Amino acid sequence: MKRVLAIPYLLWMVVFVILPISFMIYYSFNDMSGNLTLQNYAEFLSSNYLKMTLNSFWYAFLITVITLLISYPLALVISRLKHKTFWLLIIIIPTWINILLKTYAFIGILGINGVVNTIFETIGLTQIQLLFSDFAFITVAVYIFIPFMVLPIFNSINGINKNLISASYDLGASKWETLTRVIFPLSLEGVKSGIQITFIPALSLFMLSRLVAGNKVVTLGTAIEQQFLINENWGMGSTVGVFLILFMVFVMLATRTKKESV
Amino acid sequence: MTEIRLQNIHQYFDDAHILKNIDFTFSEGKFYTILGPSGCGKTTLLKIIGGFVNPTSGDLYFGDKKMNDIPANKRQVNTVFQDYALFPHLNVYENVAFGLKIKKVSKSERDERIKEALRFTNLTDFKERDIESLSGGQKQRVAIARAIVNEPDILLLDESLSALDHNLRVEMQYELKELQQKLGITFIFVTHDQEEALALSDEILVMDRGHIVQAGSPKDIYDEPLNRYVADFIGESNIVEGEMLEDGKVSIYGRAYECVDGGVKRGTPVEVMVRPEDIILKPAGEGHLNVTVDSILFRGVHYEICVLDEDGYEWVIHTTQRSEEGKKVSIYFDKENMHIMVPGEKEEEFNERLESYEGIL
Amino acid sequence: MNTLSKSFLTLMIIFLYFPILYLAFYSFNAGGTMSNFDGFTLDYYKSVIENKALMTVLMNTIAVALISSGISTVIGLFGALFLYFIRQRYVKNTLLTLNNVLIVSPDVIIGASLLILFSLFGITLGSVSVILAHVAFSVPIVVLMILPSLYQQNNNLVLAAQDLGASAWDVLTKVLIPNIKPGIFAGFLMALTYSLDDFAVTFFVTGNGFSTLSVEIYAMARRGITLEINAISTVIFVVVLIIAIIYYFVSDKNIKRGKTT
Repeated sequence: MKRVLAIPYLLWMVVFVILPISFMIYYSFNDMSGNLTLQNYAEFLSSNYLKMTLNSFWYAFLITVITLLISYPLALVISRLKHKTFWLLIIIIPTWINILLKTYAFIGILGINGVVNTIFETIGLTQIQLLFSDFAFITVAVYIFIPFMVLPIFNSINGINKNLISASYDLGASKWETLTRVIFPLSLEGVKSGIQITFIPALSLFMLSRLVAGNKVVTLGTAIEQQFLINENWGMGSTVGVFLILFMVFVMLATRTKKESV
Repeated sequence: MTEIRLQNIHQYFDDAHILKNIDFTFSEGKFYTILGPSGCGKTTLLKIIGGFVNPTSGDLYFGDKKMNDIPANKRQVNTVFQDYALFPHLNVYENVAFGLKIKKVSKSERDERIKEALRFTNLTDFKERDIESLSGGQKQRVAIARAIVNEPDILLLDESLSALDHNLRVEMQYELKELQQKLGITFIFVTHDQEEALALSDEILVMDRGHIVQAGSPKDIYDEPLNRYVADFIGESNIVEGEMLEDGKVSIYGRAYECVDGGVKRGTPVEVMVRPEDIILKPAGEGHLNVTVDSILFRGVHYEICVLDEDGYEWVIHTTQRSEEGKKVSIYFDKENMHIMVPGEKEEEFNERLESYEGIL
Repeated sequence: MNTLSKSFLTLMIIFLYFPILYLAFYSFNAGGTMSNFDGFTLDYYKSVIENKALMTVLMNTIAVALISSGISTVIGLFGALFLYFIRQRYVKNTLLTLNNVLIVSPDVIIGASLLILFSLFGITLGSVSVILAHVAFSVPIVVLMILPSLYQQNNNLVLAAQDLGASAWDVLTKVLIPNIKPGIFAGFLMALTYSLDDFAVTFFVTGNGFSTLSVEIYAMARRGITLEINAISTVIFVVVLIIAIIYYFVSDKNIKRGKTT
């Protein structure tokens, strides 16, 4: 009977995990008329795609670093509050608002007549086009990822035995030394999960580049969407996809947590 | 210099009054045990000395120096935590090195002191080990090594042996006692285990609901508990109601007995305590009270015998003498082994009273 | 808690809520832009309600979410039970890794690979492909939500049931499933959340003529600012807020009750 139960699940695994990825790999060796070729890979390794990949990595890196620099202190502050679950909920609530709605809000905020420019104007600065720039892309991405980064970091800080902090003070460490020598090393697992949650999606945020970056930022995700839905060149799109999967595997291995490796 | 003085300390957490007017001086170089049931405030008291809790009111002095506002990391005090609180991301050596690195002790001196501390705690072979690979007793030793390597004036131990199994616990008791004598610094040990307190301490503080009820040497507290609470908490006891007739004479169930206590007004209702091991079984009619053996339990080193006297009161006796259930015998105890307690008496009054007739009776 | 931390927290909360409240504020703007407030109006709310196409899209979104979460919960439950009973460590870890592939994959990869799959299998893009795609990415989430509650229960429970004469079916329906009900419910809710929130996967596998709210908003936003989006956003925010408040008080009560009993 256990075998009967397993059938739908195993079927799901084959149809929706193994087959799609295999098909994608197969398509990456196809040209637009369906002939087997290495042309796509040759094109990807040519300067244009490599530049785009480096660019995508650079933005994903910037977004991850900025998000981490904001989220770590935020998680730390919340973990010391009295009603921490309440404040955590406050931070989490914005994630339940559709990502597109939040992105759309920034179109208004950063627009030429938006609130940021109005503030600039009143303090005597000239209006500048903030929207449709890499600045807008990074700002909105950081905005979206903060709660996702805060959550795992908060959980790991919150899971630290309080006596370890007391022990650190007891042994003469100052607040800063306790943070750097005890709290930070013990919350590294949370930081790693936070980086995973941020870095990989940041490589593939195509709607952000379309909506707020004015196509000035081309990520791997934008390239895939472009090839699949606009150029209808599934072969090239799949090749970019295969590389994105490879990068993803690499990031997962690099940030593998202790528990998983045992 | 490192005498610890607590002055009128009160501690509230929200509305709960955890410590009530604690006044006590710990003198230097002794092994103190704070003994009490959970929730009596003993751990809070320890945390105030360690600097993890600020007293709501009252003052804490180390020597002449007021310590209230000095944070934990600036106190010459180290703590061995109940759950050891060893840093899981550091190995044994790095855990022990933590405090010295913080204090920027030079590498050569650091190595020397760590080596010494590890040798002291029999951990020399374990220095590269991960914390998670250690047994409970080894973790305990690392926690001690990590604390003493800083050469503190005072070592605080919070229920430090309670996580260990019985045999290891007894072994660690010997080691702790020995360690304290070698180091010559003040140890303040918190426990709810009376045997541990009796075995280790130079002085025991018995606490109850935020008060220090009685403080004294293990022998004093065992032989002359202030009241029923202390008597029951430390050791087992038979406690019967009585009335003081005059100095050296007490009446129990209308019969007069000679005793060695005094200083109590005639006619004062008192409680008379006799330890189970101080009662001797005699053939019927030869002791103080005729009794019937109700039950016998073999406890290994002794029998625990419950007997009922003619008024129906139960007495517990620890003895190596054999008897059998239903047998009619009598019980006898020396006058030195009767201890008179006056309900409601304060510790100071009690001590004064003891002094007042010392040597007279 | 020093002032620096407090002001940092306040600043971050303002940052996180400002865009949402900004949208809500201009949803009442008679001027029709997100810059100059020219007087109060409820016109955009009215036009959202009167917009038949938009209402259909909303219904689609909810239907897709409910149907796909329901299916994924059943498959996920069976999957979790299956994984729970596997004894060989290596097999279990391999299956778990495969299970997690879709959780860590970027949305575009899931969307693009499913697009290939559907076209090869001859499935027309539309409601069916969208529901299948949502089932695809929800199943592993459900499995991950249920597994911990299976491992948390006492191992001897199953043995005790067998000892008392229960058949394999009895063990499953009378012992295991009732015991992990909270996990199953959490899995369903999580699948629902992911489904409602998804944009990228749906965007790839939805054809013309079928649309969910996210895809519709994307299309509207690409055309520029329409305050109807602001109105939808405000309604969603209020609903989310109410659910969050209820959730907080219910879970708070549970915690307190747990403490006293």
